[in-house]
Amino acid sequence: MIFLSTRRFDFFGYGILLFLIFFIVLPVLTVFLWAFAEQWFYPAVLPTKWGFRFWSLVLARPDVWSALITSVELSLTVTALSAVICLPAAYAFARMEFPGKSMFMMSFLMANAFPRFALIISIAVLFLSLDLVGTFTGVVIIQLLNTLLLMIWLPTAAFRAVSREMEEAARDVGASAWQVFRYVTLPQAFPTIAAALLMTFVWTFYETEGAWLVGAPRIRTMPLLMMQMINNQLVVQYGAVLSVMLWVPSLAAILMARRIIGGDAFAKGLGG
Amino acid sequence: MSATAMSLRNGWRGLAFIAIPVTAIAIFLFYPAALSIIGTLVRPKDGGGYTFSLQSYVFFFTDSYSLTNLGRTLWTTVVTLILLVAVNLPIALYMRFTKGTLATVIQALALFPMFVPGIIICYALIRYMGPNGWLQSLLNLVGFHHYASPHLTPWGPVIGLIWDGMPLTLLILISGLSNISDASIEAARDVGAGRLRILVSIITPEITHSLLIVSALNFLGIFGQALMPFMLGPTNPEMMGPFMLRTFASVRDPLQASTQATITFLICSLAGVAYVRSLARRPQEDRK
Repeated sequence: MIFLSTRRFDFFGYGILLFLIFFIVLPVLTVFLWAFAEQWFYPAVLPTKWGFRFWSLVLARPDVWSALITSVELSLTVTALSAVICLPAAYAFARMEFPGKSMFMMSFLMANAFPRFALIISIAVLFLSLDLVGTFTGVVIIQLLNTLLLMIWLPTAAFRAVSREMEEAARDVGASAWQVFRYVTLPQAFPTIAAALLMTFVWTFYETEGAWLVGAPRIRTMPLLMMQMINNQLVVQYGAVLSVMLWVPSLAAILMARRIIGGDAFAKGLGG
Repeated sequence: MSATAMSLRNGWRGLAFIAIPVTAIAIFLFYPAALSIIGTLVRPKDGGGYTFSLQSYVFFFTDSYSLTNLGRTLWTTVVTLILLVAVNLPIALYMRFTKGTLATVIQALALFPMFVPGIIICYALIRYMGPNGWLQSLLNLVGFHHYASPHLTPWGPVIGLIWDGMPLTLLILISGLSNISDASIEAARDVGAGRLRILVSIITPEITHSLLIVSALNFLGIFGQALMPFMLGPTNPEMMGPFMLRTFASVRDPLQASTQATITFLICSLAGVAYVRSLARRPQEDRK
């Protein structure tokens, strides 16, 4: 510790820790408490009755299942489409020379330079005239746009990290371009690409604003259902149970993905 | 095959590989944005043909409700930005210059919001800081009975947006701080520089670029948010996000919604240009 503190007890560090516990840990913990609370009256500090009653109630609701199916269908479609159109582009950005390359790369980053919701509004206005509002296709397109940057940026970095020497060595012993790609480049880039696919799936699953504006009320995804349950507030536990049920598996997936990618890649990707 | 023919062929193949995503961006991002901007200026005339009109803008800028909403959005953006930097800069400094278990725990906690989807953050914050929420129960326990919940006040979205913006802000700041070498700080200490002096003279110049990116991205992020202000904020006045949503979906006035979006685009173009310019000035090897 060379800069901030030379004191024996790290007041500064514990101060930050305390802040983070109150600001980040406790709100998340609240959701878990509510999910397992059958009864919790203010001002009791902990639920007055614990149990799983609301889990079976949530699981018995048909709207939960239909929203879950819609969300999974949407996320699978978007992730697959995104992979099909983005992975070749990522390979081109990493390994090929073509006119206007840096300009095209910039055009993807420039999508970040727009306020997101204003963009969604302008797309929705266009979709209104194309009769795409309230359709599965409309939601797929708006969510697909959301994934392009991630699905190009991360795989580009992955392809670029593959050693050129190894590729050239394979060429020298007579491998075709396809063989080099299949047996040298792809295996090395695969972990990062898999992580990008996983993140795309999870982010699409939870994408709310695009689905809300373009899909509602006919296409009802899981986040939209949760929004409705939170706003109605008749049964507090429904929102909590849904959150815990859906978020814990996705958290595990994302944590796995992040182990592969590392935080620095995000910051660098956005220009940090 | 000659080298030029080879590179030409490669060039075409490269362009073919990127054609679909580039077209998708052009058709579904830039085209609708341009269309909605033009659509607010050029209107169909009754007898056929088109006419130039600023009417929808005149309405926006003479309508006190619209103006209040814009003002509320600017206020939220500025306050959130200042708080984001004020909260994250010390954490980033701590994480850059400290090793050990505590620093690891802090890093894990501070980056945690990245893994929490927006809708769950909203739910968690409502249950935690809302009226009769867990925070109030906890404060009651220690004898504090004057808790005023920020939920559905202008501070509600501010808190939600700080939650949401924290991981990215922190990552970019840490990435900026990692450019500073330990040696340069130790050298400064050796010649007797105090902490403040090191912060002002060595650290600040190094992270100006990061601060710029953080401000631009968060400005765009906050202006372009609808979910948090909708779930956590008041309805009157409301931020541009929910305002546009309501104008489009409930009032069913796409023209006025486009006008609001265009005004949002214009204000955000300042941050957008700053962001793109700072990207363009990055070291070459990153961009290639």
